[in-house]
Amino acid sequence: MTLAFTLNGRPCTTEAPAHWTVLDLLRDGLALMGTKYGCGEGACGTCTVLADGRPIRACLVLAAHVRGRTLVTVEGLETDGRLDALQTAFAERGAAQCGFCTPGMLMAARALFIENPAPTADDVREALSGNLCRCTGYTKIVEAVLGAAPGSR
Amino acid sequence: MRLHPFGLLEPESLTEALGALAKLDGEARLIAGGTALIPMIRLGLVKPDRLISLNRLPALAEIRLDGGSLELGAMATHADIDHARLVRDGWPLLAEAVRRVATPAIRTSGTIGGNLAYAEAASDPAPALMCLDAEVRVAGPAGRRSVPIGGFFRGFYEAALEPGEIVTAVRVPPSPKGARSGYVKFTSRSAEDKPLVGVAALVVLDTAGRCGEVRIGLGGAAPTPIRASRAETQLRGEVLSDTAVRAAAESAARESEPLSDLMGSADYRREMIRVWVRRLLVALRDGTPRSNRS
Repeated sequence: MTLAFTLNGRPCTTEAPAHWTVLDLLRDGLALMGTKYGCGEGACGTCTVLADGRPIRACLVLAAHVRGRTLVTVEGLETDGRLDALQTAFAERGAAQCGFCTPGMLMAARALFIENPAPTADDVREALSGNLCRCTGYTKIVEAVLGAAPGSR
Repeated sequence: MRLHPFGLLEPESLTEALGALAKLDGEARLIAGGTALIPMIRLGLVKPDRLISLNRLPALAEIRLDGGSLELGAMATHADIDHARLVRDGWPLLAEAVRRVATPAIRTSGTIGGNLAYAEAASDPAPALMCLDAEVRVAGPAGRRSVPIGGFFRGFYEAALEPGEIVTAVRVPPSPKGARSGYVKFTSRSAEDKPLVGVAALVVLDTAGRCGEVRIGLGGAAPTPIRASRAETQLRGEVLSDTAVRAAAESAARESEPLSDLMGSADYRREMIRVWVRRLLVALRDGTPRSNRS
């Protein structure tokens, strides 16, 4: 199966078996290891990526279903090796401990900013409600997202 | 962990999809958003040889007005429905219910047609659609038909779909004038769970505060989503006094036939139906903001 789509701002054409999910395609097909495999059932959120600006679970969506769409993964956040505001805020505020949930958190937060550039703490919690973190207790994650919101800077 | 290998058909018209399903019935499964099917495949609960994807049928994802009724294409996602001005303005109960489905990244993939065809008891949109007297539109080898949503759920995870049939749309008639409505979802563990119980209600009160119209839909209260018809009958024509509301909530709990599972026992569910039916009706009566968070 041939798939053509936009990946992190560049056109991408690749082959993938019909039973692959977006997560299989990213990690095994394209060697982009930033997006993590957590639960495989859509419950933990660490595989969250953006499709046409909206968050999706890479483990639940068939690779075939992103044909022609625009995907952004955690690798697409930086510019020329410089972290973006969200990544910087996570680093500076200690919003990552083991770091396994971080890619999904970053992408869920990025999706929130597209819809709502000046979210409240409740908006942030709602937007991240599908992303589990077993280390931080979420406080620093919510603070980092609020601090990086484009409408509040 | 990879999914077991399957073939994928991607029809580009409904006719083509129906043809493929007729030819492969029994071996193939339809896939819409995949939020229910992919975990089932991963857990080994189903092992289809082929999937027939409905993702290349953009006409099936339309949300539009049709003679005053809302026509939701089966492939419209929960996020599409929530974001549609049309739905928020005319059918706020539905918007409120789809906004409570799982989490943001599930709502962008999960579809209304998929949700109904999956026919789970603890669906968020189903009780709302039952209060709104929706109809499910179906296409199949014998042509097209419309099923009132009250007859669409046949049993535990069983929809009233015949072999070879595809849900194409959900039609929602206009809400009664002056209707007050709401959906409350109670989860016993975390907010993104399926509802332990979900309660949707729609009431129309006359100037004396009597119920002209009263509809109560319940999720997680039986093997399928249900209407609490005994509670409704009891309230019709009555003033929503604290006593009347309490008695109706008691009836709703008694007419429910909940199942026990990991989230809670049947007894606990029945108790929570009593509590949340009462709270929702009181909030609708008083026009007080209700917590949609449990």
